[in-house]
Amino acid sequence: MTETYEAKIGQLKQIIEKIEDGNTGLDESIRLYEQGAALVRQCESLLAEAEVKISTLSRDS
Amino acid sequence: MDWFNQPETLVVEVAEPLRVSELSAIIEDLLEDSRLQDVYVRGEVTNYTHHARGHRYFSLSEKGSGHNAAVIKCVMWRSDADRLAFSPEEGMEVIVTGSVRLYAPHGTYQLQIRSMRRAGLGEKFLLLEKWKKELAAEGLFAAERKRPLPEYPGKIGVVTSETGAVIHDITTVVERRFPVEIIISPTAVQGEDAHVHISRAIRRLSGKVDVIIVARGGGSFEDLFPFNNPDVVRAIAGSPVPVVSAVGHEVDVTLSDLAADIRAPTPSAAAELVVPDRKVLLVRLGELGIQLGCSLRARVVRAKEEVDDLRDRLRPGKFIRRLDEKKQGIADLSDRLGRAFTNRVEKEHLFLAEMKAALEGRSPLAVLARGYCVAEKEGIVVKAADLVQGDKIRIRFHDGRSTVIVESVERENNDRNV
Repeated sequence: MTETYEAKIGQLKQIIEKIEDGNTGLDESIRLYEQGAALVRQCESLLAEAEVKISTLSRDS
Repeated sequence: MDWFNQPETLVVEVAEPLRVSELSAIIEDLLEDSRLQDVYVRGEVTNYTHHARGHRYFSLSEKGSGHNAAVIKCVMWRSDADRLAFSPEEGMEVIVTGSVRLYAPHGTYQLQIRSMRRAGLGEKFLLLEKWKKELAAEGLFAAERKRPLPEYPGKIGVVTSETGAVIHDITTVVERRFPVEIIISPTAVQGEDAHVHISRAIRRLSGKVDVIIVARGGGSFEDLFPFNNPDVVRAIAGSPVPVVSAVGHEVDVTLSDLAADIRAPTPSAAAELVVPDRKVLLVRLGELGIQLGCSLRARVVRAKEEVDDLRDRLRPGKFIRRLDEKKQGIADLSDRLGRAFTNRVEKEHLFLAEMKAALEGRSPLAVLARGYCVAEKEGIVVKAADLVQGDKIRIRFHDGRSTVIVESVERENNDRNV
């Protein structure tokens, strides 16, 4: 789950860079913004819903 | 014999009974035997208590089966204990110097210890130095081997004792900061073959986790000694994922700590190093959200500027003005063309008139217009000298001709051209 968190944060940063880049069209920028806002919401819920999971390996392996 | 039913009166009192203190004194005398003074004893510390007043009470024991096992109570007064170079702990092998004394109030004898040092440390320190040199030569402690910890680990492996405060501390911190999956690889952390178990526990996590914490609570040099073992050090250095060590207290540095990618002062600190803080992440995420909004707003502002610029360039007033300018240009050119043409024609007219005037001025007939006339005799212009009375001549006037007869001729001397 954290792997996807990392990936999502990476995507979000790329989106911001793309919008800031002068070559991205306005339509494309708006579409990217919506995508980015969705990523922010997803990341927030990933953080909110994270739960610790503990398991113990067998000593015999 | 039936001791129990024997009447008290039958006990024969041969002498006055000793008082307890008198018996105690005899024992005390016996204990002053020179063999019991300034003895040099090796044993294991048990039942250790550090009294509030600074005195230390414990037992020295020797493990063994049956009657081979032995124990002696010990005391170390504060004045002597203050000079100790280490903190004695349960199970520690020590070598002490002291004398056996009776403690009459308790009816016990005890070893009064004046000095104490740890047993077997010399050999272990030598071994540690040897291992350290060898492992350093293999490059296992090199700074360039150190790997960065993953920013967002999905699974954390913890090599430690299943029970005890360490695993509790680690899970508590991880749960609070950033709950992820924790995989415990349980192991004995002290004892003769602890190093075998620890290195196995580390290798067992291979491929299952993103980062490993190798942890143990505080302990004596000997307790932590398995973490100096080359088996453990090599297991840490050979781990495919980064290893955080948190072995013993901050002052105790083991070879495991040197081989780990990063060393934490405590197990809790190790957990903090390994997982990011959810609160911090939320703040950072919030900042990214704001940045996202700002970037779009900036993009919209830029788009608006582009539109404004285009509108400016397309404004009709300007367009018409440019059209007018063009028209004006054409009109000017047309004017210039007309003027040039007229001027030229006028110039030609003038020139022509001049030419005509000049031509007319040179014509012999021109003078006739001023009232002169020309006399011709037989088609040839004549002078008075050429004439005689009776000649028939033609007179040419400006506006016609006439034929006349010469009546007389009067000659003059001046040569006047007719």
